[in-house]
Amino acid sequence: MLLLPLLALFAFPLCLAATKDTREDLVRLAKAGNGIIKLDERTYDSLTASDREWSATIVFTALDTRRKCGPCKQFQPSFEAVAQAWNKVPATSRNEHFFAIADFDEAPKIFTKLGIQSAPVVHNYPVAEGPRKPAHGKPYPSTYDFSNGYAPEALAEHLSLYTPVRIPYRPPVDWAKYGTFAATGLILTTVARFIFPLLKSRITWAIITIGTILVMTGGHMFVRIRGMPYSDGPNWIAGGYQSQYGQETQVIALTYGILGGAFLMLTLVAPYQTSKSRQQLQVWLWSIVIFVMFSVLISLFRVKNRGYPFKLLL
Amino acid sequence: MATNSKAYSLPSNVSPETVANTSSLLRIVSLALISGAAIASRLFAVVNFESIIHEFDPWFNYRATRVLASKGFYAFWNWFDPTAWYPLGRVVGGTVYPGLMATSGVIYNILHALHLPVDIRNICVLLAPGFSALTAWSTYMFTKEMKDESAGLLAAAFIGIVPGYISRSVAGSYDNEAIAIFLLMFTFYCWIKALKTGSALFGTLAALFYFYMVAAWGGYAFITNMIPLHALALILMGRYSSRLYVAYSSWYAIGTLASMQVPFVGFQPVRTSEHMGALGVFGLLQIIAFAELVRSHVSSKQFQSLLYASVIGAGILGTAGIVGLTYKGWIAPWTGRFYSLWDTGYAKKYIPIIASVSEHQPTAWPSFFMDLHFLIFLFPAGVAMCFKQLRDEHVFVIIYAVVASYFAGVMVRLMLTLTPCVCVAAAVAFSSLLDTYIDPAEPNVPKEEAEATEADPGAADAPTTPKKAKKASAPPPTLGDFVGKFVVDEKKPHGIFGLNTRLAVILNALAMLVFFVLHCTWVTANAYSSPSVVLASSNPDGSQHIIDDFREAYYWLRQNTPQDAVVMSWWDYGYQIAGMADRPTLVDNNTWNNTHIATVGKAMSSSEEVAYPILRKHDVDYVLIIFGGLLGYSGDDINKFLWMVRIAQGVWPNEIQEPNYFTPRGEYRVDDQAPPAMKNSLMYKMSYYRFAELFGGQPAQDRVRGQQISKTSPTLDYLDEAFTSENWIVRIYQVRKEDLLGRDLKLANAFEAGRKRKKQKPPVRRRAIA
Repeated sequence: MLLLPLLALFAFPLCLAATKDTREDLVRLAKAGNGIIKLDERTYDSLTASDREWSATIVFTALDTRRKCGPCKQFQPSFEAVAQAWNKVPATSRNEHFFAIADFDEAPKIFTKLGIQSAPVVHNYPVAEGPRKPAHGKPYPSTYDFSNGYAPEALAEHLSLYTPVRIPYRPPVDWAKYGTFAATGLILTTVARFIFPLLKSRITWAIITIGTILVMTGGHMFVRIRGMPYSDGPNWIAGGYQSQYGQETQVIALTYGILGGAFLMLTLVAPYQTSKSRQQLQVWLWSIVIFVMFSVLISLFRVKNRGYPFKLLL
Repeated sequence: MATNSKAYSLPSNVSPETVANTSSLLRIVSLALISGAAIASRLFAVVNFESIIHEFDPWFNYRATRVLASKGFYAFWNWFDPTAWYPLGRVVGGTVYPGLMATSGVIYNILHALHLPVDIRNICVLLAPGFSALTAWSTYMFTKEMKDESAGLLAAAFIGIVPGYISRSVAGSYDNEAIAIFLLMFTFYCWIKALKTGSALFGTLAALFYFYMVAAWGGYAFITNMIPLHALALILMGRYSSRLYVAYSSWYAIGTLASMQVPFVGFQPVRTSEHMGALGVFGLLQIIAFAELVRSHVSSKQFQSLLYASVIGAGILGTAGIVGLTYKGWIAPWTGRFYSLWDTGYAKKYIPIIASVSEHQPTAWPSFFMDLHFLIFLFPAGVAMCFKQLRDEHVFVIIYAVVASYFAGVMVRLMLTLTPCVCVAAAVAFSSLLDTYIDPAEPNVPKEEAEATEADPGAADAPTTPKKAKKASAPPPTLGDFVGKFVVDEKKPHGIFGLNTRLAVILNALAMLVFFVLHCTWVTANAYSSPSVVLASSNPDGSQHIIDDFREAYYWLRQNTPQDAVVMSWWDYGYQIAGMADRPTLVDNNTWNNTHIATVGKAMSSSEEVAYPILRKHDVDYVLIIFGGLLGYSGDDINKFLWMVRIAQGVWPNEIQEPNYFTPRGEYRVDDQAPPAMKNSLMYKMSYYRFAELFGGQPAQDRVRGQQISKTSPTLDYLDEAFTSENWIVRIYQVRKEDLLGRDLKLANAFEAGRKRKKQKPPVRRRAIA
């Protein structure tokens, strides 16, 4: 009866040594990859071994150009930046968490094994053994939610939940932005003498104001907040009442602009026409423009709202 | 003009007094008719359905009003509601804008004092239409200040029937906005009047109505920032005047003190960033007023420049002070709801509960057109007219237009604040057009000038006045031409020749107005008059069929459950349960406690075993869900489910994870391919429990998602189905008590079903080593 536990006791330092070896292996691999371990099937298994005393972040991606994975390429710099930030952590904590990357073209078997069908995917493997084992005790990886975009700040913040210490990620100083700022400021100060009368002119302000109003009522904020595309191939008008593409904003703002402009022409410009025949031509022209553009607008609205019962010309 | 030729003749034997009297009578009659139209078009909801309180928030307001009417104002003020946010409760008096309830209470008491025994419900239902008539009147007053009475009447008619305002003020929509838009417009009117006349009386009136607004609606912050913005713009334009000083100071001092009397607002006006703009402009005005005063008494040039420097210094010091206080935490930073207006991604990231409300979604252009119709393109034209004159009050409309159109683009709900501005600007544009083309006077153009312009059209545009000449001499030469083209000279002869052009334009305009009325009536009748408590569908013969599942279920709760039975549901239905079923709820539409809501979200999105302890700990007796799969009602809980998951994930990121509720391909499915987390969730099980049985062996079809539900019904071990309404929209489940024998409920169920208990590994026994 005593034999079995005793044997286990003997085996214990051995497996400790084994994990220690793996850890050193991983540290070496991470160092070679500048903080990121490039995974193949073997290293994947040892990194995610069920008795691991470290945590790991693995991104499953497909960077090869043949795969045409736009999001993968978009995400890669963020991931590298965060992994590199982790390099600044002192070695004792650094070796508690590993960043790794599994590319579809180098280790397709991992993808089939995990049933991953899309990329990029970020898995966080919590510690499975030892004091840092999470309270819920589940060794399964959790997936990072990309709904907040690919920005490195959000990624670092989220991954810090799994690392022993916070990832000291700091966004790089955006010299381009400051440079543009400084240059713009410089240009503005030099040409201030010329710009100032422009700023004092109500025409400038009228153009800015009315432009803003047209763009806003054209639904620009919807397109921006929802990240709608400019158009969907040849379809530039999105189906459905609660949706629109970027191009629609432009068309609608232009339509509103023409209609409003026609009203202004009728009210402000036509009466000052001193010749009767020209005035009549103008008035009729703008009236027809209003009628036609309004019909166009209604027909556009009927595309969006199928149940709308009214229509003009079209 | 030497000779006045007319396009058509007017009777010349009418005295000016008769004209004035008749026009004022006509104005009164028109306003009365506009009020009538405004009220009548809001009664679709009552005619099509019945006199009933709509939607969600109004149910709370109605409940609070009933307390106020039956127990008096002080009881309402001190009302602690133990049934809301069970077990926390809610201090209603201190967490509510009491303006709406107080208004209804006053009307109720007046009517009863006159021995008119009107039911409080009918007052609540008809309050919004009544106030819409007042809104029309206040818009008339406001627009009158912008242009004249005829523009005012047009604006009143527009706001009376425009869908953008009707959407929040149909009969039964008993919400804060119902009275708030009237208060908004009237406060703005008083402000403009105070500014124009420099009268402290109107400044005080503006402050009083501002106070009423603060008591009525959280959107008062719009006024708090609009008026300072206007004042600041006037100062920057070099239009400081003592009128501005008097108007602003009286409004700010009295208005701020008054607003602090509302318990829910309290010390916010001096402690939060939303209100700091108003305080800053107040300080700036004092400094400028002081400098102006000193300047008028001192002539020394050096002293004046010293004064100038010290004013700038004081301004910088004051700004730094506010920034420093914010940094130190004495002044609270922007609250999430306001902050999300500027940083549009903020809410989605940090406060999913704000992002989850459909009213807080951005607005696509069809909504703008639906709500404003042809006003939407008259709006920029009207703003351009304001630029043409650019008196102080026009600056206000311009700022209002820009700010409100941005806000309306970011949040659907803020379409409401844009609408009055659109009506005013559009009325200015439209009435200018009518003025121009109705005026019978024809232009009196000297013969030679007419010929000259025929020969050289550019000559007519040449700058003539000194002002324009100055502009033309500004560095970019194109600017002068540009100005000359559009800022036309009032003194130049102008007018319309002939009758045919007049008729063309006026008939076109009238046709548009008719179309606008048709559009508004159609939209109001079809889109904005549904109570959403009662649904309507049409029978094959075209008659109306009423779907009354909500009230059926709420009344079932009311009559079949003990008074203190706690009902858990998603927060949308909290107010309705409290109002109609009169039962305690865990969470409701007053979403003040995110953790509590996340707890409900967690219970709904986890498996039965995980959810049961949560339910028991919160004393939940019944769980109520909304299920539209049978009828095709798309606003049901399965469609809202992802928000529950997201909100729960915000608090328990380790336990609830949104990706688990999607298939590996990233789809949201409820059929056989649904992921295990979805299938095991309490919400899924409750929604589809016994759903397949309805189809009697046929494939069960979810009519909202358009997917087939698996034939085997989910099993529930910890809940019992208690009630399902006629069309299955509302399903109520009773939470089982713990098993009497102390068994796990799952095992007890299995035992009762006659299934054998699964063999488990025998527990490891320790054996002494000997």
